[in-house]
Amino acid sequence: MQLLKYIIIIAICAGIATYLLPWYMAAAVAFVVTVNAKITPGKAFLAGFGGVGLTWLVVTLYRDIPNEHILSGRMAKVLGLPNGFLFLLVTIILGAIVGGMAGWSGGVMNKAFRK
Amino acid sequence: MRRLLAILPLILTAALVYILNKPMGSIPALGALLDPMNGCWASAEPTGKDFSQTIQLQGTQQPVKIWFDERLVAHIEAANDHDLYMAQGYVHAYFRLWQMDLQTRAAGGRVSEVLGDKAVDFDRLQRRKGMVYGAENSLKAMEADPRSKGMLDAYTEGINQYINSLNYRRLPLEYKMIGFKPEPWTNLKCALLLKYMADDLTGYTEDIQLTILRNRLKQENSMFNPNMLFDKVFAERNKGTVPVIPADTIPQIASLKAPITPADSIMCVPLTGEDFAVNENEGKGSNNWALSGSRTKSGAPILCNDPHLGLNLPSLWYEMQLHAPGVNVYGVSLPGSPGIIIGFNDNISWGFTNNYRDVKDFYAIKEPSANTYWFAGKELLYTNRIEQIRIKGKPDYNDTVRYTLHGPLIYDAHFIAPGKLKIPLALTWMAHRPSNEILSIYLLNRSSNYEQYVAAIQQFLCPAQNMLYADVQGNIALWGQGQFINKWRGQGRYIMDGSDSSTLWGQNIPVGENPHAFNPAQGYLASANQTVTDTTYPYWYNGYFYEFRSWRINQVLQRTTAATVQDMFALQQDVFSVLAANVLPVFLQHLPVHTLNNTERNWLQQLAGWDYRLTKDSKAATVFMVWWYYAYNRLATVGRTDDLKMSPERLMEMVTGRDDAPYMLDEDILYASFKQASDSLNKLQKANRLEWYHAKNTTVKHLTKLPAFSYGDLEVGGWGNTVNAVKGDHGPSWRMVVQMTKDIEAYGVYPGGQSGNPGSKYYATFLDKWVKGEYYRLSFVPAASKPNDKDIKYTWTIQP
Repeated sequence: MQLLKYIIIIAICAGIATYLLPWYMAAAVAFVVTVNAKITPGKAFLAGFGGVGLTWLVVTLYRDIPNEHILSGRMAKVLGLPNGFLFLLVTIILGAIVGGMAGWSGGVMNKAFRK
Repeated sequence: MRRLLAILPLILTAALVYILNKPMGSIPALGALLDPMNGCWASAEPTGKDFSQTIQLQGTQQPVKIWFDERLVAHIEAANDHDLYMAQGYVHAYFRLWQMDLQTRAAGGRVSEVLGDKAVDFDRLQRRKGMVYGAENSLKAMEADPRSKGMLDAYTEGINQYINSLNYRRLPLEYKMIGFKPEPWTNLKCALLLKYMADDLTGYTEDIQLTILRNRLKQENSMFNPNMLFDKVFAERNKGTVPVIPADTIPQIASLKAPITPADSIMCVPLTGEDFAVNENEGKGSNNWALSGSRTKSGAPILCNDPHLGLNLPSLWYEMQLHAPGVNVYGVSLPGSPGIIIGFNDNISWGFTNNYRDVKDFYAIKEPSANTYWFAGKELLYTNRIEQIRIKGKPDYNDTVRYTLHGPLIYDAHFIAPGKLKIPLALTWMAHRPSNEILSIYLLNRSSNYEQYVAAIQQFLCPAQNMLYADVQGNIALWGQGQFINKWRGQGRYIMDGSDSSTLWGQNIPVGENPHAFNPAQGYLASANQTVTDTTYPYWYNGYFYEFRSWRINQVLQRTTAATVQDMFALQQDVFSVLAANVLPVFLQHLPVHTLNNTERNWLQQLAGWDYRLTKDSKAATVFMVWWYYAYNRLATVGRTDDLKMSPERLMEMVTGRDDAPYMLDEDILYASFKQASDSLNKLQKANRLEWYHAKNTTVKHLTKLPAFSYGDLEVGGWGNTVNAVKGDHGPSWRMVVQMTKDIEAYGVYPGGQSGNPGSKYYATFLDKWVKGEYYRLSFVPAASKPNDKDIKYTWTIQP
């Protein structure tokens, strides 16, 4: 339950941050949230992974569906992927991994510096 | 220690972010690119996007209304010229900014700035050709006239207001993929774009190869096949031409006397060279024709034009209507230039084909020292122009280009000429001269009768065009328009001796004496890049003319009566090959059939009963074209494989025996080339690509050449030797048919779409129709009318 809370907090903050600032602010958000949270490094990873992944999933679908997959199809071809769905997946996984790494970093720091 | 280790994940994460935020070679920064919020995903335009909006545009004097029809063709309605061109700049930038940026960078030799050092040689060639020098000269002329200056200033301002409104998220996709940003637009960029067109249309040259070949053959003549004497193979004029300007309409009087031709060694310097890239010379160019009312069903003239240019996405053209007091014009514009280039207004219509008279000449320079060159017995100082080439990720490269009286040294010891020539070559090119084509477009868009049209095109100096005209009064006309030089016979056909003053370009031929025709007795006018005039034209010129399409168009139009627009569509789609119809029977007659094996005979049978049409599904067309390719490569060369080839027209005349001297078709070559063709055809058959459209693989390529943004293997017939000249990457870039009835009836299509965004539904909307040979009825609104509400899909309201 606590994990879900952090996922949602990270997702919302990452969405706002990257709307206004460059993409890597999603990582900063995941780190800042988890470094202040009392969760294990493993859960912190999941919070970052799920949080940033969720934002990227929602925004990607928001772009892709009304576009009828024109752009995702073309970009998939650019990267040598067989279809646009895979391009969507690659995008989301990339965001999730960056978020997860940042969350894990926060979790480990929190644990190490916690008295 | 434990706390120290705890920083490790953070360092790892930072490293990951750093890598994802940094471009690696040609791979863009993946994190930024894939970011759904700001990266490539931001270019995913909703297919149901409502384009309607209200825009604040500082500097406009009155509100401007722009409405878009369902094809996203912009119709701008402004209260004055300034607002009109400002809005046009804004619209061009909105839909096509990246393309405008890249094309003008390419024109000015600034590609290395964004693509890195692989483009340095390209950039150097552009600078050494004098592209920027020419654009600067023209800009002075454009800014000297208040009409063109006002037009340019407003247009540039409109583009810049759009650029200033952009953040990273809203940048066109290609900027994010390549990793650069738009810079402010300038009037110079407009001038560069026009030089880009001038280079595309007058940049082709055979001077260097022709010089070297002539010198070699002069020495070897007697040892060669007597069929192959230089003057015969490279005759000054194509025989059998049906010229652009019908014979009976040429003005006979020349106000200038022909200068005297100097000694042969000055006209053509003795040079040797080697290792040329093999040139391809088969019919590129454009068609236009106009019928008088006497030949049409409606009784009103019909004007048709299909300029053949590189087939790219985003398309070179952007379709629009411009309406303000004194102007109401529809047609295609060039993003990067104000005005409508090809189109029509309430009273007149016009179309262009390339004129191809040679306006680009080379000079061999003798230099006694690194800073000086000989001219007329004097040692003159070069003028140096330092070309600073910025290179992405590398230090700048400074290229010192030395200028002579003739023009820049395009090639020298620091930039070796084709053929590995040892001496420096200077370039004289009409595109270097100040000229104001923008003013010409300004006036042309506002012309309402023949006199105004003639006055307008007098300003159009380079690239020279065959400018076709038709009006609602029933007139048709055609001008071979450009600035030409009164040359001595042979001037500029070869590399000239730059130290001799007689080689300098002489007087301008008065523009009013350019060949032209007005309402000719034959009832039609047609140009397809063929020879401009017959031998009665008093001035000497050479050029790179093509005849096949002209022969076919004239053949069809001569028997055309009561023509409809549908007949004109059909002629634009015509794929009858005059080349095949003439050459194939002779080839078949001389091919030693008894020596062919079974597979080869099967291929031969494909040709039986063929109608000489390069239709998309024809296998016979593939067999002929592949055979022709190999046969031409061998029959058209004089000695070495990298020699300049004679024109296909010339070869056709020789093999069909239309020539004064008999020609022996070499059966061994025919047989060997048929064997080669058979091998290629076997491979095509194995790959299941024997249909003509598969074999030629017409591709409309995105400017980055990315296949993902391009469309290949288009199901379309034709080739350079047919009216529908669709080649691999070159072809009809805009097909237009305008019937000059009182209510103008116009049709058009281009192989692209109005949006330059590969993520947009409108990116290549028209391509399918273009491939099928279909047309859109153009939604031109006459000055006195209002648009139909049902035609208005989106509206932009621009507020000052």
